[in-house]
Amino acid sequence: MNLWTAFGRDLIEQSPLILGGLRDSLLLTAIISLTGFFLGLVVFYLRHCPVALIRMITRGYISFFVGMPLIVLLFLMYYGLPQWGVRLTPFTVAVIGFTFNVAAYNAAYLTTAYQALDASELEAARAAGFRPFPIFRFITLPQVLRLSVPALTNQVIRNLKDSSVAFLIQFNDFFSRVQELAATNFMFFRSYLFAAIVYLLLVMILVLIARQVERRVMLPGVYTPPENLNPTAN
Amino acid sequence: MALFEIRSLRKQFNDHQVLKGVDLDVMEGEVKVVMGPSGCGKSTLLRCLNRLVEPCAGSIRFRGEEVTGSGVNVRALRQQIGFLFQQFALYRHLTVLDNTTLALRKLKGMKKQDAAERALHELDRLDMAGHAHKHPAHLSGGQKQRVALARALAMDPAVILLDEPTSALDPVMAREVAQLIRKLHSERVTMLCVTHDVEFASAIAERVTFLNQGLVQAEERLCVLQNNHEHPAIREFFMTEKRTP
Repeated sequence: MNLWTAFGRDLIEQSPLILGGLRDSLLLTAIISLTGFFLGLVVFYLRHCPVALIRMITRGYISFFVGMPLIVLLFLMYYGLPQWGVRLTPFTVAVIGFTFNVAAYNAAYLTTAYQALDASELEAARAAGFRPFPIFRFITLPQVLRLSVPALTNQVIRNLKDSSVAFLIQFNDFFSRVQELAATNFMFFRSYLFAAIVYLLLVMILVLIARQVERRVMLPGVYTPPENLNPTAN
Repeated sequence: MALFEIRSLRKQFNDHQVLKGVDLDVMEGEVKVVMGPSGCGKSTLLRCLNRLVEPCAGSIRFRGEEVTGSGVNVRALRQQIGFLFQQFALYRHLTVLDNTTLALRKLKGMKKQDAAERALHELDRLDMAGHAHKHPAHLSGGQKQRVALARALAMDPAVILLDEPTSALDPVMAREVAQLIRKLHSERVTMLCVTHDVEFASAIAERVTFLNQGLVQAEERLCVLQNNHEHPAIREFFMTEKRTP
């Protein structure tokens, strides 16, 4: 029998498990993208708080979680915490660990976009009589979010790819199911190629969505669609 | 009646003393122009008036009430003072209409419809109602400055402070802004304008206050200041301005 046919048959046999793993991978990606986004917003807001101590703590938070490899954080929580009597499910560890990590990156992206804001707009809002929070809510945040869309959507794509790391803490995601398939039929190349193609397709879908979001929320006058750029123009 | 009475106003940034005891009155319905070389403290003076910059010493009375020191409702004060910036400072993510209604809705608590009506009235007054749904990026410099002016006027301020309103504009647009200011002056809008644009200053006011090194050096008719003034700093300023194309 053709090896590809045999692989296809195994794939169909294992499809309930593989589809379940795919569902869990997508679920984890969606949850950590949302929780990481909202926690990132909070960290970004506190990063510009008038209280120096809070600013210092948030700077430390970003440095710590951006600097620490994700796998170390997940192992610390999954294998380390039980020694202190704290036992968490793989899913909970994955959600918490990823959220802290993703939030730190998102806060860093937002902070970078903040540097691109026109300071005179913030001064104009102060001069009009706005308090700091409404300035953040109505002036800073809408612009910073729009400027950060490429980085934030790339982070969602990265979350999907990185979610495969969760199999190392016994989380039965898509990749762990493909690994099981490879371990049963010993068709490692075909199994992992299959996993690569699935991830690639998912990433392509996310990229298409991300580009649509970017076009919809672009800041007028900031984004120039590539088709409008004329290299011969002066 | 004096809207602003400024006495012995001082401001220091670290070791650098920017305002060294400024005395100035702004009367209601008046267009007061403050001129002076770069770094003389013009913009700092304006920013002290609405407490964007905290003065170190001296007194600022607004409608007879002291507005320096603690215990002053700074945000309420700012809502009575319009401010126009050199670079227009329009919120670039908002349309012209939203730029004009934001403070009305969020600070004055007006309903969206009422705020829009009020904003469109001000935009129409400055010939900008037709651009209400455009974003600032799609406007010329002169149009941006008109929107900024409409945004300030919509709040019905007691006075408008203008910080070098023509420095980012070409001469044609600067003349347009001067025309607008004359129009507003005829409607009894009080304005305090700092500028180093002599042509613009002469178009909007007859008398000018000359600020130099943090002090009011002279307060005279512009033609007197321009005509070989006895004070060397004033003479040099106007000679340099003449040479500047």
